[in-house]
Amino acid sequence: MDKTRPIALTAGTAGAFALLFSATPALADSHTATVSVLHAIPDTPVDVYANGERLIDDFAPGTLAGPLELPAGDYDLAVFPADAADASGTPLLSATDVAVPAGANATVVAHLTEAGEPALTPFANDTSAVPAGQARVTVRHTAAAPAVDVRAGGEVVAPGLTNPNEATLEVPAGTITADVTLAGTDTVAIGPADLALEEGTSTIVYAWGSGDAGYELATQTITGLHSSPSGVPGGSAGLVDDGLPLPLVGLSVLGLAGAAVAGRRLVTSRV
Amino acid sequence: MRNAVAGVAVGLALAVGVPVGWELTRPPATAGAPVAQVLPTDPPAPSSPGTAAPAPAVDTRAAAPTAVPQAPAPTRVAVPAWGVDAPLDPMGVSPDGQMALPEDVDRVGWYRFGPVPGEAGSAVLAGHVDDREQGLGALAPLRDAAVGDEVLVADEAGTTSRWQVTSRELITKQELPLDRLFAREGEPRLVLMTCGGPFLPEYRSYRDNVVVVAEPVR
Repeated sequence: MDKTRPIALTAGTAGAFALLFSATPALADSHTATVSVLHAIPDTPVDVYANGERLIDDFAPGTLAGPLELPAGDYDLAVFPADAADASGTPLLSATDVAVPAGANATVVAHLTEAGEPALTPFANDTSAVPAGQARVTVRHTAAAPAVDVRAGGEVVAPGLTNPNEATLEVPAGTITADVTLAGTDTVAIGPADLALEEGTSTIVYAWGSGDAGYELATQTITGLHSSPSGVPGGSAGLVDDGLPLPLVGLSVLGLAGAAVAGRRLVTSRV
Repeated sequence: MRNAVAGVAVGLALAVGVPVGWELTRPPATAGAPVAQVLPTDPPAPSSPGTAAPAPAVDTRAAAPTAVPQAPAPTRVAVPAWGVDAPLDPMGVSPDGQMALPEDVDRVGWYRFGPVPGEAGSAVLAGHVDDREQGLGALAPLRDAAVGDEVLVADEAGTTSRWQVTSRELITKQELPLDRLFAREGEPRLVLMTCGGPFLPEYRSYRDNVVVVAEPVR
């Protein structure tokens, strides 16, 4: 496999970028987008350029950059081998006029396709609120591997996931033990690994690597998606009832009845 | 005739005066500043970089899964002025979406998804005010909390933090500022909650929550 073969993304791929980004609901900030970059091509340190400016230097495989607050707009992205002179030569990967709309939250992943070719794939990140007590977990297949099953605690939770797709679940917060198997088999390809799924956060798990370099998991966490409980219960017996006490209610009703009787007498005595 | 007039007057005076007098002479439902004023406020939003170029330095980190360090959980809450000294249980969320509380009314729940007391935001401690079989709960005296009362919270590392009540308020359950009571950002606050106000037998529930907010003693 020739990992340094330059792959220029076609206009069609750049179009897919724009589509994905604009599918993200706009958030409050009207000027910027939140972008993270994951390097998931084994054994190939790179430099990442945006609009001709170096964005990330000596970016090592298995590392995550960001989140970056980038001004909304169109970006030309290029990924060069890190040992090349700055911005010279032929990029390993490139994409032109990538639309980054305001309010988007996305992760751009440099990874291998199922066939082992380098690729740039943008994923839109779901930043909607997570119900109280829950955690969101998204699994993304970015490894040079066929379809896989993702298991949590031995149970298949995402069957038949293929590169470069994702599966999302909302689960009770806590630590799960996850592994990845070849789809439909018990042959473990990655893991098991303990994943701490914190309440009110989104944990994005990437399966990446290749048969030659080995397979690994990478994680990205988006915090601040929590919701509050809907209330606080607190008592069922009425022992500290703070309403008008019953004897006083009785006294008040008695007064009303007395007034009614006396009033009736007043009216009849006048006739 | 005069008797009848007097009867009407006395009767009406009783009918109106008893509830009004009760309302006027009962202890106030609030103490100190309104709860909404003393809860953590949202930190200011980061200023927008506008059209500035991307920052040259970018944070990168190894993306392999890592364990998240946990702060020591609180284990006990004590309020000497109310004679309260109760163990704390870490609690989450009930299937109905409300905060889960310990079944035992002598124990108090700490909302484990929120901050631990002393971290940024609002640490919530809540308990049942009463139970048909068990009687009054540990937090029943909450409704008489006074500004300045000292609250002590011990954690599993053996550290005790000191807090001082700044506010008590009776808030209708439908009107609770839940997002602020359970805030995870802003100044550290301790929020103690139980039920209060009139009991609604048809719902087997109280109408209100008693909310007490305390600030750290420095």
